[in-house]
Amino acid sequence: MSIIKKIITFRPSFTLRILTGLISVLIMLSVCTVVAISDQSGALNRRATNFNARSVEVGAKVYSLQCARCHGLNGEGIEGLGPSLAAESFVGRRKLVIGTDGLATYQTEAPSKRLQQIGWTESLENYIIAVTQAGIPIRSSNVWEVNHPAFLEDFGGPLRRDQIRDVTAFIVNWSLNPLSDDQAILPPAPGEGQAPRPTPVPLTEAQEAGKQVYLQAGCTACHAIRGVGTQGALGPSLNRIYTVAQERIADEKYKQAAQAAGQPVATTPEEYIRQSILYPNAYVVPQCPQGACVAGLMPQNYAQTIKPEDLDKLVDYLSALR
Amino acid sequence: MAFVGQKLIKQIQTTGLKATIAQRLDDGFTRFTAGLSWNDVRGILRGDPPPKPNPRVKPHTEGFWFHIRPSFYHEAVTTLYPTFRLGFLSAVFFMFEIITGIFLMIFYTPSPTYAYQNMIDIMTNVPFGKFMRDLHRLGAEAMVIVVTLHMVRTFVTASYKKPRQFTWFTGVVLLVVTLFLSFSGYLLPWDQLAFWAVTIGTSMADAVPLIGPELNLLLRGAPDIGAGGLLRFYLLHVVLLPIIGIIFVAVHYYKVVRFGISLPPEMDPVAGEDNARKVPPEKRVPFLPDILTNELMYMAVAFAVMAVSVVTWYQGAPLEHHADPMVTPNHTVAPWYFYWLQGLLKIPHMIPLLPTPIAVEVDRFFANVLGLTPKVFWGVIVGPLMIGLLFVIPYIDPNPSRLYSKRKIMLSLGALFAAAIVYLSLAGIPTGVPVTGFGYVGGDPASEVGQEFIPDEGVGPVRRLAYKHYVVGEHKVSAEPNTGSSEFDKLIRAIHASMERRKANPDPLGQKLSPEASAVVEVKQVQDNLRYVAIKIDYTDASGRNTRFVKETYLHELSGYAGGH
Repeated sequence: MSIIKKIITFRPSFTLRILTGLISVLIMLSVCTVVAISDQSGALNRRATNFNARSVEVGAKVYSLQCARCHGLNGEGIEGLGPSLAAESFVGRRKLVIGTDGLATYQTEAPSKRLQQIGWTESLENYIIAVTQAGIPIRSSNVWEVNHPAFLEDFGGPLRRDQIRDVTAFIVNWSLNPLSDDQAILPPAPGEGQAPRPTPVPLTEAQEAGKQVYLQAGCTACHAIRGVGTQGALGPSLNRIYTVAQERIADEKYKQAAQAAGQPVATTPEEYIRQSILYPNAYVVPQCPQGACVAGLMPQNYAQTIKPEDLDKLVDYLSALR
Repeated sequence: MAFVGQKLIKQIQTTGLKATIAQRLDDGFTRFTAGLSWNDVRGILRGDPPPKPNPRVKPHTEGFWFHIRPSFYHEAVTTLYPTFRLGFLSAVFFMFEIITGIFLMIFYTPSPTYAYQNMIDIMTNVPFGKFMRDLHRLGAEAMVIVVTLHMVRTFVTASYKKPRQFTWFTGVVLLVVTLFLSFSGYLLPWDQLAFWAVTIGTSMADAVPLIGPELNLLLRGAPDIGAGGLLRFYLLHVVLLPIIGIIFVAVHYYKVVRFGISLPPEMDPVAGEDNARKVPPEKRVPFLPDILTNELMYMAVAFAVMAVSVVTWYQGAPLEHHADPMVTPNHTVAPWYFYWLQGLLKIPHMIPLLPTPIAVEVDRFFANVLGLTPKVFWGVIVGPLMIGLLFVIPYIDPNPSRLYSKRKIMLSLGALFAAAIVYLSLAGIPTGVPVTGFGYVGGDPASEVGQEFIPDEGVGPVRRLAYKHYVVGEHKVSAEPNTGSSEFDKLIRAIHASMERRKANPDPLGQKLSPEASAVVEVKQVQDNLRYVAIKIDYTDASGRNTRFVKETYLHELSGYAGGH
């Protein structure tokens, strides 16, 4: 008890007070000095590096929820929906270098070719932010089924500014090890490239009726035709299906697959289109918008659900898409 | 002919240049100290006894800064007991918060668009920025502790009794101001932690009977917290509450001086008689120099302790993910000094401890007759009433005596109140009270494993383990993992142990992880320096279905979680 009494009745002497106060002030000043030196010699930059890295982590999550559907899970792009964001021709090639000041910065080894093509003079980051925030209100190319939507909440989109900054940090980070251009879905250069859209031809009455069959028989859930306003992204686009069918019937791979499936080998594009509707597994094309096409995904009962005369009109219509 | 320098020249002529300069300097010095010459100050510093007449009382009568300070204290209150300097330290921390707060204010914009980025900028682009932010945060928590202890001490030594009832009253106002200052500052970083803690806090205002929705709208500026709410909380934090604080500190301290600092209870043996103002000359401790140097010492020590704490053991003020009204993180909690209120909110019935069927009937009765639910009753009515009780203690305590031996009932009630606060505070945290399990909140055990290792907010073991230790692939969670990385193996063993624990022991809600539950940790390389880490648990849920629970995160090589926040 006496020790407690000693403590609670403790009254520091004058000298002790001055001494303790001075020492405390000195301690405080030295802590401030330590903080000043450490902040100026890299602590600020190291924290900046940490926060930039965390921004990439958050961006990865945003990307997987908002962007992957059209640009691919790994940024490889999806035919007909969105171009690759991980391709070297888009993000360029960079190195992440941690400087002596503790700050990790990108060093450009190869700049973005795409931005040079379209004449964007600002940084890649700003291009991504601009497009993600506001979208592309006009068609910069006529390859894609939809315009890039605006993602910023101010413009009616789902994302806040900070989320767009984060997802930009994530996309730019692909430049450390970008996809080579042949692994990626690329947009054609401005003014170049064949836009896979139907060559406009006047439709006959029967073909108009076939278009109605196309719109009503369930095709639009998975297939897209440019100009008809459908955006199905599971099956291949039917934009120029007649031309594709022409190429396909000359393809050895198709002939072997059809024979293996016990189906006659189509000799005209119309026959090929009809076969693809009635017996989808006769030949499964390799590339669908979401990756490799899957056998059996397309319903195999159209022989029962579409009337023969409607089928004729549908094939007639699709044959007009060249 | 008279001119401005005539007197000066005359003085130089009569006493010489050197003496004139000395005299003039001393004159200025005396004006600056409001009455103390250089020799007087030297005497003070040397510890000389005061000369007669004593010039050391002049600053109290002439100067502004000391005019509110008494010129002497009673010797009995200059020891550590009975004050422990807690009132003084409360004022010191208030000042401390103003200084660090003004620094932070310079770099802060109260707008949802900029606030969070401002916080990052303060920590990554402003020299001393993180230091000041940590000091401000730690200082705020220290202030809550000091102010509370000050109140406890005043209660224990019965210093609230006549004539100091109103001093106590203003003190409780200051306690409430301190709590609200701390709480309003909570929102300003605009991160998830802030956003949801304050959403919960203001939704309590929403539940206030009669005026709830209006009160809520007044606080938030909109049905939900957004730009309007942030601005209001900012203005509360930097304008309204500090002004109320300063006004009440002035009133509070005026009363302290007016009645004198109350002596230790044993020196007021006669009930109702206060001896603080009767200080015999030999018991007087002069303010100059004794009290002043004492205070400067305490202040310097307090500042030094803060500064050293921030650079040593303190983890740093947290900054979680950007506020997102769409995503409620698991296990959102109020700041720790409001845990007791959160505990009150968890009381399930109007009258707890009754057998459940009767308690349910009682609840139904109150709901039908008064429209009161247990949450509204305990959280919104009883909670503020507990604070209200503090306000009226001096007016309802019928016992005039300050002696401990004659205050057994009041001291016991005080201890009971403190115990209730501690118990409710424990109930307020998600893990609940140990042993009784009261207040436990948890999802099914699999999601709790996920929350334990990859918490929605905060760091957690998975993020804390550095990027380089992860091995790409799917790894089965077992007691004997073999991933090729000993640190990663350790993490997997910890996940395994947590699952085994949850298989063996039911949580307070009686839930167990199903015995056949298994898990894998999946690590994928997403980008060159970015990995995806997921804990996937396959188990049978409460309704008997086979379920897979996935908790995932991304981990960047340079995100630096290992160093705390």
